[in-house]
Amino acid sequence: MLGSLPEALSILFSLQGISVLLLGTTLGIVMGALPGIGSTVAVAMILPFTLTMEQAPAIMLLIAIYAGSVYGGSVSAILINTPGTPQSAATCLDGYPMAQRGEAGKALGWSTVASVCGGLASALLLIFAAPQLAAFALNFGPIETFSLVLLGLTCIVSVSEGSLVKGLLAGMLGLFLSTVGGDPITGEARFTFGYFPLISGFNLLAVVIGVFALSEVLTRVSQKIDSTRALVTFSGIVLPRLSEWKGRVGNLIKSVAIGCGIGVLPGTGAATAAFISYAEAKRSSPRASEFGKGEPDGLVASEAANNAVTGGALIPTMALGIPGDAVTAVMLATLTLHGVSPGVRLMTDNPVLIAAIFTGFLIINLLLLPLGMLVSKIAAPLLRMRESFMLAAIAILCVIGVYFVRGNPFDLLIMVCAGIVGFLLRRQGFPMPPLVIGMVLGPTLEISLRQGLIITDGSFAAFFTGHPIALFLIVAAAGMLSLPLIRFLRARRLKSA
Amino acid sequence: MNKIFGSACVAMSLVCAVGALGTAYADEFPQRPINLVAPFNAGGGTDLLLRGFAPHFAAALDGDAYVSNMAGGSGTVGAAALAQQKPDGYQLGYWSITVSTIQPQIKDVPYDVDSWTPICSVAASPTLLFVNADSPFTSMDDVVAAVNEEPGKYLFGSSGPGAMTHLTTVAAFEGLGIMDKMKHLPFQGSGPALQAMAAGTIQFFGDTEILMTKGDFRPLMVFNDTRLESFPDVPTAAEAGIEAPLDELYLWGGLFAPAGLDAAVAEKLSSACETAVNSEGFQEFAAKTNTVIDFKNAGEFETFFRAQYEANAMIIDAAGL
Repeated sequence: MLGSLPEALSILFSLQGISVLLLGTTLGIVMGALPGIGSTVAVAMILPFTLTMEQAPAIMLLIAIYAGSVYGGSVSAILINTPGTPQSAATCLDGYPMAQRGEAGKALGWSTVASVCGGLASALLLIFAAPQLAAFALNFGPIETFSLVLLGLTCIVSVSEGSLVKGLLAGMLGLFLSTVGGDPITGEARFTFGYFPLISGFNLLAVVIGVFALSEVLTRVSQKIDSTRALVTFSGIVLPRLSEWKGRVGNLIKSVAIGCGIGVLPGTGAATAAFISYAEAKRSSPRASEFGKGEPDGLVASEAANNAVTGGALIPTMALGIPGDAVTAVMLATLTLHGVSPGVRLMTDNPVLIAAIFTGFLIINLLLLPLGMLVSKIAAPLLRMRESFMLAAIAILCVIGVYFVRGNPFDLLIMVCAGIVGFLLRRQGFPMPPLVIGMVLGPTLEISLRQGLIITDGSFAAFFTGHPIALFLIVAAAGMLSLPLIRFLRARRLKSA
Repeated sequence: MNKIFGSACVAMSLVCAVGALGTAYADEFPQRPINLVAPFNAGGGTDLLLRGFAPHFAAALDGDAYVSNMAGGSGTVGAAALAQQKPDGYQLGYWSITVSTIQPQIKDVPYDVDSWTPICSVAASPTLLFVNADSPFTSMDDVVAAVNEEPGKYLFGSSGPGAMTHLTTVAAFEGLGIMDKMKHLPFQGSGPALQAMAAGTIQFFGDTEILMTKGDFRPLMVFNDTRLESFPDVPTAAEAGIEAPLDELYLWGGLFAPAGLDAAVAEKLSSACETAVNSEGFQEFAAKTNTVIDFKNAGEFETFFRAQYEANAMIIDAAGL
């Protein structure tokens, strides 16, 4: 691959190459920031425009949109508590409280630096270790995936603000919601009560936008609105000073590693990575008690992880020619349209193209910093809008975003119901992140468990024998669960001694 | 003012008169842009094909056509919505074999075989049964012997229950009489299933040639009436000992309108579809995307569609869906 680097660089540093990278990344950030237009929709929207372009610029444009949109999702999560995509849901947890405290610029600064670090690290991994990591990812069968998701579910404990019982209940509700619709193994319609529109289940994005954004709008409206003030004060990104990074670098590195690792594996994705990384940061951080109240560590954890997933997800796509998720599937379709047949021989048959893609991906992640600052500078005046107008605008954006994704009017009904239910539950002190975690992980948990049981002929005990990775993950999950108990017991013993 | 009102009245009564006469309606068709419904998300295979097809279809009709997506429930949400529309020819859907013939027979959906006026078929690709390139199996005889030797050991995958990939494997193993000695492992999409195949979690998978050539896989048989030019050594399912109707399976798709569309309009749409399919632009698009074009006009497609609906009932039964 290194041999074709000069030719690849000449593609990238042409007028077309540079403009594609700049334009794609900017567009991606803007689209990611708009609620509803997640990475998949953004990439699919741009696809028709790439048909007249050449191979390398076309795929570069899509990758720029992809990386930009994952970062952009954090902007609206922090500023208006509206995750542009489910993978930014964890960013809301500490980003929005920071913004409410008047530190919106700083919050965006942390998330930008964390995103760039996550993206860059995953780009390096993609360049140097793609074939090896793709081969490793193949060790992850249904049983391993099940164990990983089980570990992910323990995050519910970390993100349950206030009452653990209420958090667990919200998590169960999320898991239950994810079972409505087609059964993944038999295809039968479940829990639809004969009502046809429920056959496609509860759309994740509609629920996420409902419980985060719409319920926030309702909460605000129910309180007294000071109609002359703006919702958040924001005048541009403030980058964290070097001294502020003290004691946070370890967290950053760990979060990047979690993101890269989960990105490479099939069937999980950025939302899972962000939550697992957030939970791990909270477990190990000396400032754990500040989490959820606007702690930069929480922001760094979720943003570094979800951007690290982008490079990770490209690894199986490029090395095996098999898409890991919907976004990479669209990218492979683009390659096909441009006469490149994706597959196991993709990297060896098209060294120049691959070198251009990989180095381009590195440059895109470097561009996130200046372009992110530029976009938020331009967006800042918009946020000075009066709070009442801002809330109305958020509600409208939610509606457009949710309808746009699938064109299914039923999703709007789901979003409105989720908004109202979320509003009522939040008033009663039920945290919403566990509900989202339940819905994100539910489908993977179910299908991997049932696939595993088909493989082992219904024996759950067989999950533990002959699957060392799975065993390790399950033990880790058990450890995460019992840690608070151990701490509690030790504290009591110290007290009595 | 009165003059304008008067001419508006004349125009409106004219429109009504035109509407009353079916043939006149067909002559004037299309007056408005035609909506082509893709029942899956933007960016998927169906969506891409339809977006490549729409401009040529619009040109052939001398009108406008646009693609809209309505996804969910394995394509049934879009199909159910269209089935309830007025059959005026302005709302068409692109359904695959699964959306139109499989889903309504395995799920309780508000449409069935009589809900449509078939317009034309656009594409059809035969499916193949394949194994990993490093698999010990080189023929179906090997497979039958191995499965009979160790029942319950081997797994076949699919991209989901009732998907084309599922029907292919069911047709293969039911046709050879070893279905109940094997296990089925459904995945969410072909991507994860092919990864599991490469990892050795599953041993068999069935899909079209486009998908198979993405990985290091070895085809064992093809569900076509003749051998494929690209794989002259791979036997057809019939040669491998599978009897009709399980020996031929095509992933096909075409345009449908809601039932009760005026025959003259259907005829007009069907011939526009033929012009579009044969247009240079679409042929080039199909070559690029490895789409196997298979045009059938309204009459042929209706017969084919109904025969497929019947034939697939048998596979669905064998699949236990």
